[in-house]
Amino acid sequence: MLSFALKSMANRRAKLLMTALSVVITAAVALMAYNISTQVSEGIVNTAAKYDMIIGPSGSATQLAMNTMFFTDKPLGTIPYSLIDELKATGLVNEAIPFSMGDSYNAAPIVGTDAALLADKPLKAGAMFEEALDAVVGAQVAKAYGVRVGDKLVTSHGLNTSGAHGAEHADHPLTVTGILARTDTAYDNAVFTPVSTIWAVHDHGHEDGDEAGEASPAPSVVVSSGAGASGAPSHAAPAAEEAHDEEHEEEHEDHDHAEEGQICAVLVRSTGFSAYSQLMSAYSGKAGYLAINPNTVLREVMDNVDLSRRIVYILCGVILVMNLFVVTVIALLNMVDSRREIALMRLIGISMKRINQLYLIQNAIAGAAAMVCSLLAAHLFLLAARGLAARMGIVLSATRVYPMEGAILLVVFVLSILPTAICTSAMAGRDGMDS
Amino acid sequence: MIATKDLGVRFSDGSGLRYADLTFETGSSYALLGASGCGKSTLLNLLAGILTPSKGSIVIDGQIVSGWSQRERDAYRIARIGYIFQDFKLLEDMTVQDNINILRLEGVNTSGMDALLDRLGILRLKKRRVRGLSGGEKQRVAIARALIKQPRIILADEPTGNLNFETGEQVVRALIENAGEGTLICVTHDDRLAPRFDRVLDMNAVARFFDGREATRNA
Repeated sequence: MLSFALKSMANRRAKLLMTALSVVITAAVALMAYNISTQVSEGIVNTAAKYDMIIGPSGSATQLAMNTMFFTDKPLGTIPYSLIDELKATGLVNEAIPFSMGDSYNAAPIVGTDAALLADKPLKAGAMFEEALDAVVGAQVAKAYGVRVGDKLVTSHGLNTSGAHGAEHADHPLTVTGILARTDTAYDNAVFTPVSTIWAVHDHGHEDGDEAGEASPAPSVVVSSGAGASGAPSHAAPAAEEAHDEEHEEEHEDHDHAEEGQICAVLVRSTGFSAYSQLMSAYSGKAGYLAINPNTVLREVMDNVDLSRRIVYILCGVILVMNLFVVTVIALLNMVDSRREIALMRLIGISMKRINQLYLIQNAIAGAAAMVCSLLAAHLFLLAARGLAARMGIVLSATRVYPMEGAILLVVFVLSILPTAICTSAMAGRDGMDS
Repeated sequence: MIATKDLGVRFSDGSGLRYADLTFETGSSYALLGASGCGKSTLLNLLAGILTPSKGSIVIDGQIVSGWSQRERDAYRIARIGYIFQDFKLLEDMTVQDNINILRLEGVNTSGMDALLDRLGILRLKKRRVRGLSGGEKQRVAIARALIKQPRIILADEPTGNLNFETGEQVVRALIENAGEGTLICVTHDDRLAPRFDRVLDMNAVARFFDGREATRNA
């Protein structure tokens, strides 16, 4: 029966392919929509802070949260590093961690901070950074650019999202001391270094010190491999320094990075609710400062994501229903085309029960193939979308499969065989061949 | 033995056919001769259980098969009857062997296929698609499909229609030989083949056509 079903399918491959394609496209869209929205929600929940307050320059609360939690968007500006000492002096904080951003290594942002930020992130290799120009690299960055412990990374100016080359900090390469284990968070896509690195790197070319807080364009990326393993060669050379300085000054016109003694934000973990309240009231109203509760801000973002997700689910439902209609019509047309074959089989004595089984097996095979293809198509798209998502601070795993995807595929399978089952049952109900 | 009594069939346009009572003995071969449209193929379809008689009965080996359901008649046909259709009724996009192996869906043993195809001179075509075969080759494939199950009854509708006389004679001889102790009922236009059969029926005398108006009057 199976071999005959396969041969019969081979003869009707064009029509079956059309049906399967319709099913695959619908199912892949539904799977992708579910998978991406779930991973985004999970990413936000996982990142929802262990910090109860973030203090930065005044501006957008969402921008401050996204910048410090997901390393996306530009920093709001800078605040003095001395704020950390000021906060610690109050005795109201358990932790106050500096946060700076402004340069990049390829598409990965360079985050200036201290080791406490990575305290709960295990290292896959090497050791935590200790001094200026040391760096710890996120798992995805290491994988994408072949970075190993001991490699020298030449960073470039500004936050690179375009891949265009800009001014390099070739004279201040970072030495990779460690690589983080994969976390499936934005930490996988960043490079971490002490705040003092940011200051050291931006000390050159700013002797007059009058440019702090001014912006520069998103620059590009250059890699140098001190240990010979980090990928592209270094393009930096002293001979180019004069040109670089001119370029650098132009670039500062549209991005922020922290000059010495300046940072972009402070991540705060207070000693308790009372301390939190005191700090919040002190800094939320302070001129030039913005204090936010990252959980509150991220919850608002989540609410938007949830709304989007509900809309996506409704759209998926509509698409599935429409697909049921399309597949039913195609199945009916196929059955009409197959009437001669069915009539012929009936004439030589093949029972309608066997013919039903034959067509159901064929559709089950097509449905199973459509299920596998849908899953593959959806996850191949996820793989392709990873780079784009990473630039938005979202880490998508192409290999993560949710139980709900199984349910969606089950619906796809039923959709594949139901119309044929109905059609053949209707034909079987006509007992007699006189007509 | 096959016996029909007061057999009649009515078509969707109201016309129909009535047959004189007929008896086909087991172990005999019959040639049905007659003009086109005189009811030869219709009789075969009635005997095969493909058509349902509107009146009368068909009794095969003591069983009134005309009273059976379509499903029962299908089962009987696949088990006991080898039917060679005038227009072959082959799956054109399938190979010769697939057209025979399709009977395995109903549990028919097709292990003797190679020997049978060889006897009919088409073993070399076994893996060829039917669509690319000549009329004569298709006819022999249809004969092979009918004979593979070694049926008790062979119904053949113009099995030599696409063959030259010599080949047709060979085919008739093969059919009679395969019928063995069973019954062979063969429709043919070729009078020259009639002497090969045990009995010859002139269907012009056996079947009577009536149109819709006559049917209404009779009702």
